[in-house]
This record gives sequence, structure tokens and C-alpha cells, in this order.
Amino acid sequence: MSEKVILQASELVKYYPIKTGVIRHVTGHVRAVDGVSFELHQGETLGVVGESGCGKSTLGRLLMRLEEPTSGSVMFDGTDMYDLRGSAMRKLRRDIQIVFQDPYTSLNPRMTVGDIVGEPYDIHPEVAPKGSRRKRVQELLDLVGLNPEHINRYPHQFSGGQRQRIGVARGIALNPKVLICDEPVSALDVSVQAQVVNLLEKLQDELGLAYIFIAHDLAVVRHISDRVAVMYLGKIVEIGNEEEIYERPTHPYTQALLSAVPVPDPELKDSREQIFLAGDVPSPANPPSGCRFHTRCWRERTDDQKTECKTVIPELYEHADGSGTHLSACHFAKVRYNLV
Amino acid sequence: MKKNSNGTVPIIVDNNRWVATDGRLLEVEDLEVEFRTREGIARAINGVSFYLDQKETLAILGESGSGKSVTAQAIMGILDTPPGYVTGGSVKYCGVDLLTLPDKERQTVRGAQISMIFQDALSALNPVFPVGWQIAEMFRIHRGMNKVDALERTVSLMERVRIPAARERVDSYPHQFSGGMRQRIMIAMAIALVPAILIAVEPTTALDVTVQAQIMDLLKQLQEESGMGLILITHDLGVVATVADRIAVMYAGRLVELADVIELYSDPRHPYTMGLLESVPRLDTRRGETLPSIKGLPPNLLAMPAGCPFHPRCRFAIDQCATGSPPPLESLEGYKPERFAACWRVGDSELAHSGHPQSGEVN
Repeated sequence: MSEKVILQASELVKYYPIKTGVIRHVTGHVRAVDGVSFELHQGETLGVVGESGCGKSTLGRLLMRLEEPTSGSVMFDGTDMYDLRGSAMRKLRRDIQIVFQDPYTSLNPRMTVGDIVGEPYDIHPEVAPKGSRRKRVQELLDLVGLNPEHINRYPHQFSGGQRQRIGVARGIALNPKVLICDEPVSALDVSVQAQVVNLLEKLQDELGLAYIFIAHDLAVVRHISDRVAVMYLGKIVEIGNEEEIYERPTHPYTQALLSAVPVPDPELKDSREQIFLAGDVPSPANPPSGCRFHTRCWRERTDDQKTECKTVIPELYEHADGSGTHLSACHFAKVRYNLV
Repeated sequence: MKKNSNGTVPIIVDNNRWVATDGRLLEVEDLEVEFRTREGIARAINGVSFYLDQKETLAILGESGSGKSVTAQAIMGILDTPPGYVTGGSVKYCGVDLLTLPDKERQTVRGAQISMIFQDALSALNPVFPVGWQIAEMFRIHRGMNKVDALERTVSLMERVRIPAARERVDSYPHQFSGGMRQRIMIAMAIALVPAILIAVEPTTALDVTVQAQIMDLLKQLQEESGMGLILITHDLGVVATVADRIAVMYAGRLVELADVIELYSDPRHPYTMGLLESVPRLDTRRGETLPSIKGLPPNLLAMPAGCPFHPRCRFAIDQCATGSPPPLESLEGYKPERFAACWRVGDSELAHSGHPQSGEVN
């Protein structure tokens, strides 16, 4: 990991229109991502966690430019990627690649493994000249721990974990600088999940990749991430390094989330204090005013404080966490230990 | 008192419910299930035995293809036949073998006394009927209630599982509910007739952690109130650790280990259980080096290896493991309640106590 910032997102916003009636009249917006800023350093892993509907996958799609943002910018190596057009954009796409969640639907069943992993070279022929492609694909298969001889097989001949390796091989085919992993292990069995996590870590060491690791499994994220961003209803509520988020969280949502994760140790079940959150995540089409978490917040506050939560949107500020400070978006941020 | 159709064991019936005189609700013995497919016969379950007592939570833990869901289907009697066939063993509920009961009698048990929560609530609910109608169906069919009474019971049941504004939402359709709420509706249906046994297949896998905690808490409360036995079928080692009393670990259609929850986590005795516990990333371990993983893949049920099905992936395997019949599930000495493991080397000093749960390591 180096100090060089490779990707910088500022105030990213993505609204999806809600259309109703015969004339498809726009009646509102789903605020999937609503003002997200962060930096990603070279060779670093940034974990993004949150519950379903918090906008973490939309964020991944925005960073891939599979979606155009409603506003905001992403600087990649010093240029705003949303300003690029034509061949400049095409060139940049080599540097940011993605691995999808479901290894069963993200690979074309009618293509051989060689065609799937080699397809990026059809689109970016300058990376590998035609004659060398087969060899290059075999090298990639070997790198991700698959048998290079299996280049002519079809996806259905592989298990879930092996398919995810194919997806990873395709993701790194163009030597990207950033790999976006959208729930890459959540569809896999535990014993196989560890194999894929280890593969991702090995590739990062060997190739110097930076990862955006999007997942809902907080334990996997802790294992792989240098820094972690916690999202709630389209906003980052807390961001810091792995230790700050897991050992010294200051935002009540992060604290509730951590306390809710079951730990695979029956002897700890009575000693862990669990914070129960009432209800479900509100709809992103109509997020609560002020702090978006105020409808489910468990922290005791005075009436004046509650009014502030309801009316004033908290920004990400450095808050003391007992041993230093890290960014948290709560008016009354307060550190809590021993949640994990 | 009534005699069952086998004519042997008398069943005590209390309020439409069979009573387990010795507290033992369910006893599964040597259950065998096979799937007859065009590619060959897949033996999905090979001689699985376990029991469930009142108020107890038994977790069946296994990865995809281990046979845990098929076990549940065989107990419920909802196996798709063909291709699935129960080819041996018995499933005794209150001492009566359900597998030999005529369909009609079995119907009175299914849903009313043994009920099930399915994994995917959206596909398990019928999208074209209001949820209230679907829950009320339990009362109409099994209890013969009229529509008005059944609906009244439904509303109070929806309140029980804490669905807000139950009376207004009773006429809503499944797609109008969130994932957590749909799961609650499934639970409401499953507990409608106060079953003696609830089988929950991956009840929280599709849910977010904060909602997961709410659902598991709800199940626990219901269990305490009615003395219901719970069979939790899952692959989530975290959920199991927090709610189970005993754990049965399945691999390739066999039970490989069965033990009390604390003993299983602190001192796993089967190499597969050891590998499984080591390979789970934990919230309380730091960003580490390599995560221990089990090499290789689960076997194909159509082409099972000879000997112990786990031996190609096992780091302790010896020659004996690769030939002959698989090791039987044997009782280990000196444990109360009894614990079992199916491994030739279970008494071996190299293997005994070599499973180090990650909590012991410092990263």
C-alpha cells in the first residue's frame, strides 16, 4: 500500500427517477447514492459494508461508469472519468475492472473459459496481440489456481468457487489498477469462500491491485480490508481503518451492525451485548429528514438533541475514538468498545 | 387415546396434538434418500440418525449438496418423488414412524404438528393471494374455521410476529412487504397451529444482520413459550453458535459429527468440522495473513470416492481412509450428552484436540 491516491470520489450522487402513470410522469427519485466521497490508495483494499438497499452496489456501478452519476466526480489518476469520451474512456476502462457476485449468472454458458477470460482482449487488442492470447489466458488460469488445460471447458463444468476464479481471471486480464469486487464470495460455501479470499489477497500482493470490496459480511470485510466505509441509505456514515471501525466505532449504526453479527463461538454468546434495531431500513425513495438513521437510532438523547437529529443532516467529521480520531457522521458520535 | 395404524404404540392425543410421553419428539434412524436421475443414482442421504427433544434446538450444519435440506424434506414428507425416494430408515414422531403412515394420517401431522419455514420467503409465498388469506388457510383447512374467525386469528398472529399495523396489512400482497416482513409472515404461517416441531431451513440467510437478529430472537421466544423443538438447517456457523443446543454436521449425505454446541466449537473432533471452523473469517480476528481453507471441493454425489467421502480433502487421511466402506458414526467415550464422530482416526493422538479454533490464535 502506498500513499498515492489512485481514485478519488467526491460528492457522488445517483438518483433513479420513479415513473408512474401512462405518460411515465416522474413522481420522485430513489436516492441510491447521495453524496459519497472517499479516496482509494494504490494497492489498498477499501471495504464497503451496509445492508441491502444502502447503495453499495450502485456505488460500484458508478465507479465502473456503468451508470452516469446525477452529480459529483471521480478522479482517476488525476482526470475526472465522467468527462472522458471515446478512446480516452476506453483506455481508462482497462484500469478499472469488476468481479460480480453470482458466478452462475455472470459467465456466459455458451462461451468456453478461454473465450470468457480472453474476451477483454477482443475489446482491447493492444494489451495482448492475437498470437499470444491463448498463452496469456492460460497464464491467467494458472494464476487464479485453475488448470490451464481446462481452457476449452464450459462454465457448467466448474463448481461455484472455480467459476468465481474464472470471474477473477477475467477481471485481471487487462492488468487493471483497481478491481471492484461486488459481493465476490457471498454466493460461495464457507470452505470455498476462504479459498477465494486467499486468492484475492495473493493477487493483490503480486500485482499491486487496489480493491473496492463491497460486501455485507462484516467478518470477511475485516479480514481483507485496510480501510472500511459503512453505508446507510446512500451515505457513508463512518469510515476509517479496519481497527477504528471494528474496535472503536463511534456511529450508533456501525455499533448496532457489529453487535448484530453472530460470532461463531457459543461461549461468547452471553458475554456479547447485542443492540437491537427496531424495524427495517426506510425506503431510499423517501429517506428520513436530518440524520437518516434517526428513525432507528438506539442512543439515548434529550429532546433537544432528538430535534437536532431530525432536522440537521450530520456531515462526516473527525470524532475522538479513544485513541485518535476518525470520520463519522453523527451529531453525538461516541466511541463504544468490545462489540466484536 | 388412540391406536396408530401400525397398531403398536398408542398415541396420546391432546388438543389435536400428539404427545411425546418421554419428551422425545423426533427420532430419525438410518434415513436413506436417493435421487434417480438420468446420469445415475445420487445417494443424497446415507444412513442419517439423530433425535430431537422438547424445547431443544438442533442445528444441522452443512454446505450445499451435503443433504441437509433433503433431510428436512424427508422428515416433512415433501420430497419431490420422482426423482427423490426414501429408500430406508425411519422417522419417528412421538414414537410413530411417519414413513409408514398412510398419506391421509400424515397430512394431519404435516403443517399442524411439524411445520417448516422455507429459505426464500418471496418464492414460498403465493404472489396472487393476500398474505392474510394465506396465513388463514392454515386455520380454515386444519381447524375448519370459517373465513371471519380465521382472519381474526390471523391478525393476532401477525401481531405476535410483530408485523406493524397488522390489521391494515392483512390484505396486502407478498411483494408489498420487505424481506424481513415476508420472513415473519412465513413464520406466522409455520407457527399458526402451535407445532411441536419447527424445521427452519436457512431462515435468515436472505436477511440483513440487524433483521436476522430480530428473527432469531422471535423464534427463541416462541420456543420458550410453547416448548417447541427447533431444527435449524443452515450453513452459517455464526447463527448456529448463538442459538443451537446441539449440532449435527453433515458432509456428502452423511453425519460426520454430532455434539453439544460448546464442545463442538471448542474441541471439534472430525477433520471436516475442524477445517470448517478454521476457514470462517471472524469479526474478532484482525486482518490476517492467509485464511486456513479446506483444499479441494465437495464430492460429486454421482461419483463418490471410495472409503471416507472426505478423505481426498483431509489433511489427516491415511491409507485406510481411501478404501472400503466409510467410517461409521461412533459414540465417543466420556461425554454427556453423548457425542459422535465418523472418522477412523478419531481416537488418534495426532488428531485428537488438534483442531484449534481461531479464538486461540493471536494475529
